[in-house]
Amino acid sequence: MVLEINELTGGYSKEPVIHDISFKIEPGEIIGLIGLNGAGKSTTIKHILGLLRPHKGNVKVMDQTIENDVEAYRRHMGYIPEAPILYEELTLREHINMTAMAYGLTPEQVDQRKGPLLKRFRLEDKEDTFPSHFSKGMKQKVMLICAFIVEPELYIIDEPFLGLDPLGIESLIELMISERDKNRSILMSTHILATAERYCDRYIIIDQGRKIADGTLDELRTATGLHEGSLDDVYIQLTGGNSHEQ
Amino acid sequence: MSSKLFNTRMEEDIKIRSYYGKFIFNSHFLVFLMIAGGVLLYTLLGLRETLSPSIYIDALCAILMAVVLLPKYRTLLKEADMLFLPPYEKKMTAYFKRANLYSLSLGLALPVITAVAVLILLSIGHGLTTIVLFFLLAALLYFSGFNIRRLSVNTGAGKWLITAVLIAVNFISLLLVLLHPYFIAPALLCIVIFTAIMKKQSYNTISWLDYVQYEKEALQQYYQTVSMFTNVKRIDKAFKRRRFLDVFLWTPKADKFNKKYMYEYLFYRSFMRDHDLPMIVLRIIVLFFIIIFWISNIYVSLIFSLFGIYLIVLQMSQIYTAQAYLLWPKVWPVKRAYIQKSYISYSHKVVFIITLIFAVMFIVTQPAEFFYAFLFPVWGYVLNRILSKSIYKKERELSD
Repeated sequence: MVLEINELTGGYSKEPVIHDISFKIEPGEIIGLIGLNGAGKSTTIKHILGLLRPHKGNVKVMDQTIENDVEAYRRHMGYIPEAPILYEELTLREHINMTAMAYGLTPEQVDQRKGPLLKRFRLEDKEDTFPSHFSKGMKQKVMLICAFIVEPELYIIDEPFLGLDPLGIESLIELMISERDKNRSILMSTHILATAERYCDRYIIIDQGRKIADGTLDELRTATGLHEGSLDDVYIQLTGGNSHEQ
Repeated sequence: MSSKLFNTRMEEDIKIRSYYGKFIFNSHFLVFLMIAGGVLLYTLLGLRETLSPSIYIDALCAILMAVVLLPKYRTLLKEADMLFLPPYEKKMTAYFKRANLYSLSLGLALPVITAVAVLILLSIGHGLTTIVLFFLLAALLYFSGFNIRRLSVNTGAGKWLITAVLIAVNFISLLLVLLHPYFIAPALLCIVIFTAIMKKQSYNTISWLDYVQYEKEALQQYYQTVSMFTNVKRIDKAFKRRRFLDVFLWTPKADKFNKKYMYEYLFYRSFMRDHDLPMIVLRIIVLFFIIIFWISNIYVSLIFSLFGIYLIVLQMSQIYTAQAYLLWPKVWPVKRAYIQKSYISYSHKVVFIITLIFAVMFIVTQPAEFFYAFLFPVWGYVLNRILSKSIYKKERELSD
């Protein structure tokens, strides 16, 4: 099991935002974590990353919990935040080097892996530039390069398509599919259901901090009785059109 | 109503100032200030006995006052005001009047303190009338300069251009008065003309964008000044590429290309590319060298060197604080202890180089007492250890 979440309850303060969330991710799966703004997707992700302490329950990544060994727990994960978070004083090359050093890559591995990624995201000639001077989409590409160069067992991507141009979105989808083919897993939070429907293997639907469904699109269609329905239709049916935002 | 809004903001601003004031004027700094003040006073009184009247002393007095007379203008406006306040523009008179009074009070301390030192120097060869006229003109320049600065915000005129012109007008006016009391007339004329130009250039309505931007810069400038003495959370860090410095930046070879050295790799880059830090360090070194060289007194040299090192070591720690609370160190599979270890390694090296520079400066000015210079690296090392420990402690408390 790449990721295992058991009865996770937690949030930013004593008042929990998410309640009793449990799910698993197998190797080679792309999972869509679906929900409206404020449903609890980002809070769930922050718990997986170990940025928040659970009130109850636990999270295991490759059978490791953060309490047992923080380094071993994080080594298997690559994270791409919703908004790019960059070191303003580092160039693109230096961002890659920092990530590589953190994850124990050798300089040879870096040289080998970065070329195709830079080419894919059309940033080959920007290695010595500060990414903080890039456009939002280009900054997001830096985040993607830094995460994908590591080749971890689990990618956690928060709203992956925000700010990316159509070519960037296509490159990312290709990359995600290629990683899945290498038996790596992706947990991707989004509320853009039409895009998620195209390539996710399974969906975990969160509403008001609770998991309300978990399954493939066909399973969700069967559960809701919407045999020809899109993911949007299924979502609306499952939540009763509830658009409550926290 | 609008004056109530200003009062609330003024109270917030005073709270921030008193919060940082506690850190800046700690017991060590107050002791230093007392010693430095005493030494300066002693030196100035000594100079008064030995120096004879000269145009250079007058010029020095004029330039000192010209620089410190630059007024501050703080409106305490916030970004959201651009959206919410324009409909009430005509009812904002009370707000801006309160802002004027507050701004004037903020800029008074430095001219008053400088005036004491200048008074001692002016007593070399000047009579009471000239001295009184000099300080009356200085007061007038302060208020008129404030008026010009305030008007300039609503003209789109460059901030640095106004500052340069104000320094020039202040300097020339004050120097002319020292040369002959009647020269106060052209100085007054100059002030009137400058004010009239600004009034003519001023927009009819409030340029909210300019006002808010000006306030934002003024606030950042305040934080930057404070950051010379203590850590400031709210400061916007800015960086410059400085490609030419890349050759001096350490890049790890294969054996050190790992998590143990990654933060050291980062810290050198943060230091060299920080928008202000290298320049602040350079300014402190140059300024202190000028003081040490000019006063050329063993005690002054020693105290100022040690204080210069203290200021720089304080500055260095902001790099650690800036990095320690970012997201990536919490996500990467790297123990947080490596951040501290790397900081120790980086900061000791940089502090050692800086103390060597101070040692050389000291030896150049006080060759007979060169052996005191050996104190500096030890002082730098001890300071760095003590200050770093207090930052780690703060970090631990926050993470708990």
